[in-house]
This record gives sequence, C-alpha cells and structure tokens, in this order.
Amino acid sequence: MRKIILKTVLLAGVSMAMLGCAVNETATVVVNDDGSVAQVIESNSKVLAANLSIADTKTGFVGDLLKVQVDILNDSGSALSFQYKFKWIDKSGFEVAIDGRPWQPLTITPHESRIVQAVAPNSTVNSFKILVQD
Amino acid sequence: MKLVQILAVIFAGLILASCASGPKVSYGDASAVETTTTGFGSTDLQSIAAKLVDDLISFPPIVQMTAQRRPVVFVDKIKNKTTEHIDTESITDTVQTKLLQSGKFRFVDMTAVKAVQEQMQFQMDSGMVDPGKAAAFGKQTGAEFMLYGNMSSIIKRNSSTKDVYYKFTLKLVNLESGIMEWAGEKEIRKTGEKSFF
Repeated sequence: MRKIILKTVLLAGVSMAMLGCAVNETATVVVNDDGSVAQVIESNSKVLAANLSIADTKTGFVGDLLKVQVDILNDSGSALSFQYKFKWIDKSGFEVAIDGRPWQPLTITPHESRIVQAVAPNSTVNSFKILVQD
Repeated sequence: MKLVQILAVIFAGLILASCASGPKVSYGDASAVETTTTGFGSTDLQSIAAKLVDDLISFPPIVQMTAQRRPVVFVDKIKNKTTEHIDTESITDTVQTKLLQSGKFRFVDMTAVKAVQEQMQFQMDSGMVDPGKAAAFGKQTGAEFMLYGNMSSIIKRNSSTKDVYYKFTLKLVNLESGIMEWAGEKEIRKTGEKSFF
C-alpha cells in the first residue's frame, strides 16, 4: 500500500514538473513583398510542426496598407488549440508597431482549415510574419 | 523500499528547486493570451481594437475617403451594457491610437478641452506670452465624424460551466449629414469550467 502511494507521488511529481515548466515554442512564416513564401513553417514545437501547415497565403493592398490572409490547416485527427500573432516588417527590415497586435487564441477542428486576416498598421509595411505557439 | 523513498525526496526537491524557487515578481508579455477568469481582460481589449481597426481602415468607402485626406474624428463614450465594470475609454483609446498611427485619421480630443482652454486663456490674458505667438481662439478644426458604440454581454451558467459572450459594436457617423458611414462588430465567447481541485 505504502509502495503504491510513493509511486503515485513520484508519478505526480514528474507530471507536475513537466506541466509547470512547459516552454512555449514559436513557429514562423515569412511572406516576401512579392507575395512569395520564403519559409513555410519553422518550429521547435513538435506538435505544431507536425500537425499545422500553411495551406495558402494571400497579400493585397487596401489603399496603401498591406492586407494579408493566411489559411492555417490542421492536418491531424484531433482538434488543435494554439495562439497566433502577426508581426509587421517595413522595407528596411525593421519591425513596425512592436507588440501592436496581441496573441490570438484559435482552435481548429480535425482536418479543417481556418483563415485569419489582418491589415498592416501603416503604409510603411511591405511584409509580415505569422507566429504560432502552443 | 528505501530507494523509492530516496527517489521521492529527490523528485520533490527537484520540483521545488525548478519551479517554486523563482522570483515572486516577474514581467510578462503584455500581448500574451490571458485566461485568468472569464471576465473581460487584456486579450479581449486587444482583440477588439485590432479587429475593429482592421475593419475600419479596409472598408472600401473609407479607403477611398482617406486616400487623399485625413478626416477629423471625435470619439464619444462607449456605452457599457454589460454587468461588469469595464473601462470602455481604454478600448477607445487603443482604437484611437491605432487609427492615428495608421496615418488615415486625425482626432480632436474632447477629454483635454478644459486644459486646452485654460492654456489658451493663459496665453491670451497672463501678459507673459508674446501675442504674436499665442494660439488664437476660434481657429480649431471641427470634427467631421463621430466614433461611438456599445458593449453588451450575455452570461449563462450551470453548476459546472460559465459561458460569457461579449459583443462590441463601433460606429462612424458623419456629424453633418447624420449618415452612418461604417459599423463594425467584434464577438468574443469565453467558457469557464469549475475545477474540482
């Protein structure tokens, strides 16, 4: 009986250590100003890298502001909950409006895709990144 | 048996050392998703502002109107129809800042009218300011548009779950014609479940 209790404590300890100290990883997609995708997904998160993919990206201009659309596909057989965030880059490579956009929670059902859109904060922006973390 | 006990102590020590001995105060990411409670939070405020600003500056008639000029806007209060105390001025402040930084709109700040009036009175009457350089009365620009809106919520709960639905509506009205030029909405649903621990 005592052995079982100790084993349970050990198991609970390991689980707590893993949960309490989990580190969020970030995936990145970069779209160039000509609309071409430079990288599809770059992630240290095995779950996201294995199950999420960028099905399509679109860029256009509303007036002089860059408008972007990203179609995120859940390739896995289970629902995925994660967060995404847009980052904006100007022609010189400087990030514009740092922390201007929040991390947004998103859940995608199995084998479905969701479209996310955003408009650049000002007319200096000509490319963007979408960051994904679990 | 003893080995198991020693291992248990080592694990307990490791957990305490790795997770519990950190500093009690730390800085976090202000744009991180916040899910402390189902109440209105920073993520909701940031999501509302981002969505509505995107909608407004990409609405075709607004794109056309702001292509050549920067219309002057006045921000009215947002009616809080929820049961929570929400600082709606903070939401409109964020919306206003983003719109201003987009370079598409200009604003008149009605919250600073009294201070502006006092400063202008000082410039005119104190005798300390060069009359040629004093800001003259009657030269301010009037707002062409008014931005205003509503915030409402629907809350439902049972013994184990609480569901909160927020709806934020923002409208842009032409002050002279009374025509509503644009309206945008942002909906948020949050669900909280009671923990048994």
